[in-house]
Amino acid sequence: MVEAFAVASGKGGTGKTTSTLALGMALADEHDVTVVDADTGMANLLFHTGLDDATVTLHDLLVEGTATDVAEATYDRFGLSVVPCGTSLAGFEAAEPGRLRDVVAELASDTDVLLLDSPAALGSKSAVLPVVLADRVVVVVEPTIPALSDGLKVQEYARSYGTETAGVLFNKVRDDAADVAEQAERHFGGSVLARVPDSDVVRDARRAGEPLLAHAPESDAAARYRRAAARLDVRDGDGGAVADRFRSAVVPDTP
Amino acid sequence: MTDAAGGRNGTRESRADGAESTDAPELRIPRGTLLRSRVVSDVATTLSRALDRGLTGYATLVPQETLLLEGDARGVLTFADGVPVLAYNTVSDSGGPDALAELAVPGPYRVELYAVDDEGLAAAHEEDALRVAPGTAATELADDPTLADRTREAAPDERLADPEADDADAVAAFLADDDRIDAIREQARAEAAERADEWGLDAALADDAGGDVGSESGGDVDPETDGGRGPEQ
Repeated sequence: MVEAFAVASGKGGTGKTTSTLALGMALADEHDVTVVDADTGMANLLFHTGLDDATVTLHDLLVEGTATDVAEATYDRFGLSVVPCGTSLAGFEAAEPGRLRDVVAELASDTDVLLLDSPAALGSKSAVLPVVLADRVVVVVEPTIPALSDGLKVQEYARSYGTETAGVLFNKVRDDAADVAEQAERHFGGSVLARVPDSDVVRDARRAGEPLLAHAPESDAAARYRRAAARLDVRDGDGGAVADRFRSAVVPDTP
Repeated sequence: MTDAAGGRNGTRESRADGAESTDAPELRIPRGTLLRSRVVSDVATTLSRALDRGLTGYATLVPQETLLLEGDARGVLTFADGVPVLAYNTVSDSGGPDALAELAVPGPYRVELYAVDDEGLAAAHEEDALRVAPGTAATELADDPTLADRTREAAPDERLADPEADDADAVAAFLADDDRIDAIREQARAEAAERADEWGLDAALADDAGGDVGSESGGDVDPETDGGRGPEQ
């Protein structure tokens, strides 16, 4: 295990799942990458990876008393290990978010890079958990006031839990907003990973149920995500220590 | 009940004539007819209503978020045929994108919607300094890209080509306001620490994260609570 990243935004619709998978696929050239849909209330990853019909998901791993093995909910797709989350309300209600720590610890022992696609909110224990557990956070924002406000908020929450910012990814950037992204960099500090333009190719990939880098590997957006992944500068860590940290992390016991 | 924009019973709804600068923009519009008075959790409700009925008139918007703005934002947003034209903050005297940026805080808002006849707004709508791009209010106040698209579709061509009104201007104004950004961060830090306590996550807090805790802004207000005022006149 090298490092765990939470990909977070604080609000929906910023392209978090697209970004998680794009960064994951780009990092998979050099690392073993596992992508987890940590948004247990609004699962999305399965639709982006053609796993709509997945029979075992993270929900099953988060239910007390089931003997489901983590491997059963892990699918090899697009060069990644993908742990999707289910979409049923019953699955969400039965899930105990606190068990995410154990799942993450187990996954961490068997992968290089862990990407946690995080919930689009900060208002519950389960929503902040990925940010608490991760080593670093990737903040995904659109160049709008609500998204930037929420991005700043996520960054501050992460900092409160000792989770550093790996960088900011500006998504859905229109031509007239290029200057805005530059201006925003000042406030977020750290590295700006990419400015990804608003484009049809991203929407087409989502509709096709494929990650962007599989659907349109030659697109400008894909190239920008590859550069963003390179800028993450994944750190070599002590695998055993990281897994132990997850196991000992303080986590909530109820949703 | 006091008029949300600060006017009282007169024919002028809001004004900027107290500003020291001689070239400060002014917003002078007739009071019009009150159509609706509500507390809304989401301004999209109001913008969508104005768009769907092709309203010519204005909305007064008072964010209930007082921590960031110290209670000093009261907005007026005018419409022509349902499409936003001007934005103005009657407290700070900011206009256009600057006013929208000041008003773009999490809800709820107290909103009043007024109808004004076309001629009543014609002069005001010539004030370029207060103008905003058609879709900006939906994007920045309501965080609703679909409504923004719908609004742009309804806007006349000349509004879409207006070089004085750029969608990104409000975002630029927001990012230029360092005090506001600091306030967001400070509030988030306080909130994170408070919730960590509530959720039993104290032990996971970083060592230097717990000391700087301010007060919380208060409880939520129910969405769409009727303000208790029906249509007037």
